[in-house]
Amino acid sequence: MGANISQLEREIGSEQFPPNEHYFGLVNFGNTCYSNSVLQALYFCKPFRDKILEYKAKNKRSKETLLTCLADLFHNIATQKKKVGSIAPKKFIARLRKEKEEFDNYMQQDAHEFLNFLINHINEIILAERNQGNKNYRNNSNSNPSTSTITISSTTVSTSNAPPVEPTWVHEIFQGILTSETRCLNCETVSSKDENFFDLQVDVDQNTSITHCLRCFSNTETLCSDNKFKCDNCCSYQEAQKRMRVKKLPMILALHLKRFKYMEQYNRHIKVSHRVVFPLELRLFNTSDDALNPDRLYDLSAVVIHCGSGPNRGHYISIVKSHGLWLLFDDDMVDKIEASTIEDFYGLTSDIQKSSETGYILFYQSRDAV
Amino acid sequence: MLSQKNCHRKKMNVSFVIRDSEEKQHRNGINSLQIDQNTGKLYSAGRDAIIRVWNTKNIDSNEKYIQSMEHHNDWVNDIILCCNGRNLISASCDTTVKVWNAQKGFCMSTLRTHRDYVQSLAYAKDKEQVASAGLDKAIFLWDVNTLTALTASNNTVTTSSLAGSKDSIYSLAMNPSGKIIVSGSTENILRIWDPRSCVRKMKLRGHAENVRALVVSNDGTQVVSGSSDGTIKLWDLGQQRCVQTIQVHTEGVWSLLMSENFQYVISGSRDKKMFVTELRNPNNSTLVCEEKAPVLSMCYNLDRSGIWVTTWNSDIKCWKLPNYDKSTLSNSIENGQYSLNGGTSSSGVELSCIKGGAAIKKCSVLNDKRHIITKDSEENVAIYDVLRIVKKEDLGKIDFDTELNKRNQKIYIPNWFTVDLKTGMPTIVLGQDEVNCFAAWVSMEAGLPEFADQSSDMKINYGSLLLQALLEHWTPPQSLPSGGMDDDIKGNSYFQVPKHTPLIFSEVGGRTVCRLLVRDAAGESESSLLQETIPQWVTDIVIEKNIPKFNKISFYLQPHPQMVKPDRMKKDRLVANEFIQCRKVCEHVIEKVLGAEITSNTGNASNSSQNSQSDGNSEGSQIPPEDRIELLCNDVIVDPNMDLRTVCHFIWKQSGDLTFHYKTKPNFSYDSKI
Repeated sequence: MGANISQLEREIGSEQFPPNEHYFGLVNFGNTCYSNSVLQALYFCKPFRDKILEYKAKNKRSKETLLTCLADLFHNIATQKKKVGSIAPKKFIARLRKEKEEFDNYMQQDAHEFLNFLINHINEIILAERNQGNKNYRNNSNSNPSTSTITISSTTVSTSNAPPVEPTWVHEIFQGILTSETRCLNCETVSSKDENFFDLQVDVDQNTSITHCLRCFSNTETLCSDNKFKCDNCCSYQEAQKRMRVKKLPMILALHLKRFKYMEQYNRHIKVSHRVVFPLELRLFNTSDDALNPDRLYDLSAVVIHCGSGPNRGHYISIVKSHGLWLLFDDDMVDKIEASTIEDFYGLTSDIQKSSETGYILFYQSRDAV
Repeated sequence: MLSQKNCHRKKMNVSFVIRDSEEKQHRNGINSLQIDQNTGKLYSAGRDAIIRVWNTKNIDSNEKYIQSMEHHNDWVNDIILCCNGRNLISASCDTTVKVWNAQKGFCMSTLRTHRDYVQSLAYAKDKEQVASAGLDKAIFLWDVNTLTALTASNNTVTTSSLAGSKDSIYSLAMNPSGKIIVSGSTENILRIWDPRSCVRKMKLRGHAENVRALVVSNDGTQVVSGSSDGTIKLWDLGQQRCVQTIQVHTEGVWSLLMSENFQYVISGSRDKKMFVTELRNPNNSTLVCEEKAPVLSMCYNLDRSGIWVTTWNSDIKCWKLPNYDKSTLSNSIENGQYSLNGGTSSSGVELSCIKGGAAIKKCSVLNDKRHIITKDSEENVAIYDVLRIVKKEDLGKIDFDTELNKRNQKIYIPNWFTVDLKTGMPTIVLGQDEVNCFAAWVSMEAGLPEFADQSSDMKINYGSLLLQALLEHWTPPQSLPSGGMDDDIKGNSYFQVPKHTPLIFSEVGGRTVCRLLVRDAAGESESSLLQETIPQWVTDIVIEKNIPKFNKISFYLQPHPQMVKPDRMKKDRLVANEFIQCRKVCEHVIEKVLGAEITSNTGNASNSSQNSQSDGNSEGSQIPPEDRIELLCNDVIVDPNMDLRTVCHFIWKQSGDLTFHYKTKPNFSYDSKI
């Protein structure tokens, strides 16, 4: 291992090595690469890392939660004497297995599910701690930890009576707003509904790009035949056109490529290795007319990559951008890669090969966030 | 017969409508109008599923209503008067096309070829041909003379279908000679066929949204279209292009009417306005009137001096056409006088009005699961009794939610029906199977207090009583085992429901299989139709008089920690009918749990049986069980009158088995009394 470490340092060069930066691999505890790859991607999402380290600095003696474990882990990496090496995220994994039954085994897990769980869970911890704090001087705050899930929470801005939860820093970093507009084809009344999201999940088509995926995501869908829309105005089921557009663009846009598709004929999920180009720079076009910040320009900051042929087998690695360098994290191994190597993770143009190394979760960071 | 009955089943919905025996007014918006030029009879197709006929000849007469044509179960979307006023064809969201005797008002036959809402009809007068189209993307062509000749035995009909539309069709038109047919759909294009050969002729692009209204010129060379994009377009079929775009409306154009010489278009829109516009000179346009709601349909009045107009509301109004000289329609058009220089006030001139009624727009089921509270389009609140199928109270313009909260008691009874308001009248849809439909057991005292007997503890099942009443008049042809002498109790022996109530059997998902009035179930054809239609679980209740199953709740009974008797810390798992009161559980505690322990000491325990009907007088002691035992659930002391399912719903509120803790009341020590 020693040889490897020095090699990375040598490759980067001591003058070029970013000051105060650490590139540490994470040891695999038996199929925990789903967690390692996501943690690396999050560590190199600067706003997220900063907030976690800030939390660590503020919370000296709180009881152990997944958040304190994560804070300890990030702190541990950030305060290493060496610049490169590897660390065993033992406490974090142990805590994770306690927190959620689904992760309490040695099987391969879905990295997106893990990300989803982690972000929501951290957010809930922050909200709970905030309420705890409030109780000290406020009598009875109706603590209602946000139920927003990473996918699409069904919180309607217009209909909820409860005062909106004051955003946490998790909200500030990852949360965007989708607006879904539904137009009844009979009475032509448009009803719109806002939904919070922590990431966007897009379908993948062969030989396309992220822009195409996002366009499809916002395509007009007609609700018809057995799937008609219950129109409040018509008091009956009618055909309707529905589309989803982004109303508030998040600081960090997490894009989940839906590469695991359930195939009825096989009765299981099959990996879709289609080639989908993801650019280093991204602008969203599927924004709503009343979007708050439609012009945000995003830079690709990290990619979680799935290697292999199916959801429950294979391996996760991640590539991240740090101070202009691209690095590949494969559990405890860290390598410097050329930006051009990213193309290798777009996917396959042919369907013959079963196994592939493909971008699975993309993290785009807004340029104005830095 | 019976074996066949079970094999072809999709799940069946049983539903019925709460309404008056005669509904003289439309109770919802009106989708289409037709006028009989000979008699002045106006036909209106309602969203309340009823086609009504009005006398418009005698315009001053108060009573314009002639009759109702009832057989649809959902919105009637379009009607065509044909065969010189003898017959009417109708299209409905119930996916059927119906053929009517327009004079007598009865339904002659039902065409079930469409698989989704039928939105639009078109008529070729010269050939007596009607086309129907809808959300299933299909267009069917019907020969009216064949349709009217259909009988029960001669009931096959051939139809040509026009294929090609890729999307739901919302509008359709033919010219009188049946040379061309045009469809408008959510593809935003017009498609044109030759109905004689069923060959596709062309498609015309230009609209940005759904095409909602179409008219073809008599010679079949021009088409006028109205679209959700707010424009009206004139198309020249020879050139295969749009030759004029008229932008007078600010919202979707839903209805079009042409002057006889095809030079002026009258348009009705979602923006509530109607304009008359010169086709070739769109600047020459005048507001006819402004309605209070989006305009759905229009037709000329008898002397063509005005137009009958319908909207989302249930009124039908006749508005005067501006500067219209009835003797010289063509002249006035030649002179370009249809107009225009600010003659009419913005609201227009109302010549006549056929008043409609209110539509129910909002509804909640009270938690006695027996009554519903409704609010109509005029803000009036009312209470209906679903079990008796009647309106119970008119409460006037009061606050709906306040009244709902006031009337909701803290009681839990399972759902056994849902309410559908699509027609503007409450349609009650019963649960789809025996589990759902027969979920609601209540005590006789709660459900039918007038029959309650203090001494008995009878339970009644709402779904079963109602089905028995609805099918009271039905005797299946070969139902009862030979005996026949069963002049047995018809119905449910407690109450009857209004005989005019429409009873509807439909496949889950929408398609109607059979519709009849409660009183008609005895008829020969209805009776055998019912035999084929009614699901077994309904027959079991209505004919076999089986009693639906009681729903059971299982629960645990544990001593409260405060009365520790170390040897009895184990949980007792018990199963009971969900509607028994907690009092019974107290009783059980005394007799079976504590009592058993005492028995061994004293040897004179009360031996009253556990589920006896006379628990009120149980011997053991004069003191009621609930005064001796306190039951707690989730640390809340439960009311002994509360039943188990209510405790489960309001206090337990979890999925796991209900758990009770019991303790003797502080002032009553069991042991000391003995």
